[in-house]
Amino acid sequence: MSDKPWQDAILVTDLERGWVTRVTVGRRPVAVYDTPSGLYASLALCNHGGADLCDGYFDGHVIECPLHQGAFDVRDGKPVAAPATRPMRVLKLRVRDGMVQVRF
Amino acid sequence: MTQGIVTPLTQALAEGKLTREELKFFMRRSDGPALRKLCLWVFALAGTTMLVTLAWDSWLIWPAMLLQGILLVHHFSLQHECVHYTVFRTRKLNDIVGQICGAIIMLPHRFFRYEHCDHHTHTQLTGKDPEQIPMPKTYGEYLLYLSALPYWKTKFTEVTRHALGWLSETEKRFIPKEEHAAVYRDARMMLGAYVLIFAGMAVTGWWGLIWYWIIPLLLGEPVMRFVRMTEHVGRPAVAQMSDNTRTNLVSAPWRFLCWNMNYHAEHHYVASVPYHALPRLHEKLRDHIHVEPRGYLGAHLDILKQIREAWT
Repeated sequence: MSDKPWQDAILVTDLERGWVTRVTVGRRPVAVYDTPSGLYASLALCNHGGADLCDGYFDGHVIECPLHQGAFDVRDGKPVAAPATRPMRVLKLRVRDGMVQVRF
Repeated sequence: MTQGIVTPLTQALAEGKLTREELKFFMRRSDGPALRKLCLWVFALAGTTMLVTLAWDSWLIWPAMLLQGILLVHHFSLQHECVHYTVFRTRKLNDIVGQICGAIIMLPHRFFRYEHCDHHTHTQLTGKDPEQIPMPKTYGEYLLYLSALPYWKTKFTEVTRHALGWLSETEKRFIPKEEHAAVYRDARMMLGAYVLIFAGMAVTGWWGLIWYWIIPLLLGEPVMRFVRMTEHVGRPAVAQMSDNTRTNLVSAPWRFLCWNMNYHAEHHYVASVPYHALPRLHEKLRDHIHVEPRGYLGAHLDILKQIREAWT
């Protein structure tokens, strides 16, 4: 079991429906995804070129980097399109009393 | 790293040139528009193929092949859109169509994707942008580039090198190690397919593809070089996207052929926007980018003027 605490990210009601929402948790930019199978979260910056994934195209479970269109599956971070080759870091997520919480 | 890098898009959003809602609207994708356009595309190809056939025994075969070639070389524009995954919403379709286009014009799709990503990272930065077309210093250099001879030399060398398992130092910079073997494999498969096609023609004695495909491609490529020069050549070698890229306002047939890539500055601002939304994005960004209202010809007049001024 992780010792890292859950941290509040954003109210569920403030999320962009069916899209990706950028939030800052502590000092870290985090992307929260509203998908057909529930909410997921990852670090917001692409591990290829460092662009902000929250400005990218989001469709179903795939987030696409706005700079090069490299893409990841937000459920497990798996890269699904070049030039992304390494998995992105996904975060544990839960909802408590209408608040999205993440754990690094 | 706690802050994203600054991209033209983040700048456009931060400066209010574009709102997040507009961005989401422009980025929307579907398969329908491109599938409909592809039907027209195939129809146009059938038309030019018919013209070559009808003109077979006369000198008119040459203009017919040029027409066929102009269409063939514009598979580059479609492949380019596929590289960005913006033609179809179904991601796999972009890969399939992109690979078919690449086979037609001898540009392996995977390699082009990596190279083009680097072009978007280092647009028009001399020594860094792998797709930069150098500004010609003389009219001779200008004409030589337009002949497409240097282009074909580069492409043949490139594919052969990759098939032999060699990557240049620059290519190693933008192609990750885990993809080297796949790039080599793609080049070998492409050259192997060409050898099979030529062997098939030799065995059957039917050399029609030379007249329907190879000669038209060679005749058409100077037109593609003419188009490609208008995107960045003659613009400043700086990182600022509003300066380093040129949007050319061209007529509907040219927009059809180039899949709206004449809206090049808009494309560089937001590469996730599909081709069919670029004219609407143009309306939003037109005051923030460099626009050549006289189209491709205007861009070339600008390039020629710069060559002339450099000599006086």
